[in-house]
Amino acid sequence: MWSAAYGLIALAVVAFVALYAALHTPDLASVNLADQLYNAKKWLADSLPSLPRTDRRTHFVVSTNIVKVKVADVTASGRTFPVHLPVGYKLVKSDSNLLYELYLNVTLCSPTALHGGAAAALYVVELGHSVSQLPWLEVYAAVPRDVTRYYNWLYSYYTAWGRPPTVGLDPRVGADVDAGLVELVKAEWALVYNATSGATTLYVAAPPSAPYILVVDYPLTIPLACPPR
Amino acid sequence: MIALRDILIFAGLMALAAAVIASLFPVGEGVSAVPACSDCAFKLTGGYWIRQYGNYASFHHGTREVARYGWAYIDGFPLNIGEIMGCDPMYVHVLDGAAYVSCRGGDGSVFGNKVLNSLPWAVEISADPSRPGCTYTVDAAVNESATIQLYVYDEGGRLVYSASSPSPATFTFSLPVAGTYRMHVYAPPLLDQWYTLQARVSITASKAAVYTSNNTQDLRPSVSLKIFDLTNYWKRGYTSVTVRINPAGASFTLSAPSNAFADYLLAWEDCRSCSCDATQDLYKDEVWRLTFTPTGPVFARIYSQGGLWHEVYADGRLIYTRNKDGPNNDRYTGADPTITVRFVSEDSEMDAEATFTKVCAWR
Repeated sequence: MWSAAYGLIALAVVAFVALYAALHTPDLASVNLADQLYNAKKWLADSLPSLPRTDRRTHFVVSTNIVKVKVADVTASGRTFPVHLPVGYKLVKSDSNLLYELYLNVTLCSPTALHGGAAAALYVVELGHSVSQLPWLEVYAAVPRDVTRYYNWLYSYYTAWGRPPTVGLDPRVGADVDAGLVELVKAEWALVYNATSGATTLYVAAPPSAPYILVVDYPLTIPLACPPR
Repeated sequence: MIALRDILIFAGLMALAAAVIASLFPVGEGVSAVPACSDCAFKLTGGYWIRQYGNYASFHHGTREVARYGWAYIDGFPLNIGEIMGCDPMYVHVLDGAAYVSCRGGDGSVFGNKVLNSLPWAVEISADPSRPGCTYTVDAAVNESATIQLYVYDEGGRLVYSASSPSPATFTFSLPVAGTYRMHVYAPPLLDQWYTLQARVSITASKAAVYTSNNTQDLRPSVSLKIFDLTNYWKRGYTSVTVRINPAGASFTLSAPSNAFADYLLAWEDCRSCSCDATQDLYKDEVWRLTFTPTGPVFARIYSQGGLWHEVYADGRLIYTRNKDGPNNDRYTGADPTITVRFVSEDSEMDAEATFTKVCAWR
């Protein structure tokens, strides 16, 4: 009888020690950030054409996963029709261990000259990134092989949809490249970090004929256009 | 024979002995040490806390430091030097020696700093004075789906405009009469903002003064043009107003205009020293009325007299002459939002000019 009681007490002590040790042991897990980063960017790349678009600053300010556009008129083959120019992005995707946030906003776009004297369009882009480094940042300019054909192609979407298509984003990113309408050329770019304001600015010089530039954080490819002034 | 009971008693005693020894041991005091890894994730229970120092962050258990990392981030925000944070359980992710700490499991434990600031609400106001009245456009948005309501009240607290629309909303409305208005943009509980809208006409003038009631003084030579602002009388519902303009009490009676944004009576004197005895003739050599109508400012002649020649200009164009050759238009319609009128006399000392500009302001 007494021995059974001792046994129970001993069992309780063992259980307590085992439980205490188990509860106070750190749970170690491996973290595969590379895959998570890729998945987050892939998810954003896939959902980019379906993100809501707005031309109102207030809507852009209060929302996330949104594209800011400017409405502009383009003329091709004697027809004038409206298009949307993507000029800003607020993108968020979190994976289990990772928060991927990207903020892009074209603040200025003006004609400039390169060192060799060639004309270029200078894009000044505000950039915010949740992961400190952008090791794979690349910037391309989309140069149409034939400007009239390119805008006629956009016009066909305008008539089919009855709403303005977004340059570079519709019907999906890279559709114009696949159709052989534009050629991607490497654009000159520089990333400038201002330690005083904590702001990062991306400067891009693109050929003046390019309707948009592509900022690539592989596999995420983001078109940005030059807003009309 | 060794019974199960004896094994349990022995194991229990051993465990007790181990716990006592472990509690006496200076490291690993009853709990496991925090792993000192550079890239890993783990969960800590048992009263750990973290403190940020100048060049490192350390995990403590009780008073004992158990691990050091480069810097500590709590939910994506870095700790300040000297700050302390602790919770139970604590989720820790270590990347390149920096510790990312969260008290919530799952999606709370993340690498990466927050860079997007999404405000709960945003309101943007713009105004166009070149359209009838003051045409305001209000863009409003809140960061969740909600209906935004907009109310505009005049000085008397009367509701002059109201509308509601789902966020993001754009409201466009026109204030037909000059005045100060209060605007309420309302989407409870996120957005509850009041704004003041000032729809008015700004006057810059030379040799002129602006009055809101009678003025019978002889103010020559500094003032040759008296501008009487009648807008407030029409707003108060008067159907006609009599304005006394000179020491003899000469007056002009005007009836209420329809749909006027602002209304002015302009009384001008052409001569510096004459008519001193006959004060009933003062400030009535040219009497004109300027009314901001929905189709633009209308400048219309009411009365003229005097022996000197006059020229009346509107927006730089000569529209009326007296005692000399020239056009004789009694009425001129300008374009919003600005009109400039000028009275020129043979006695050039009395030349007067006034510019009326519709201003649609807010704050």
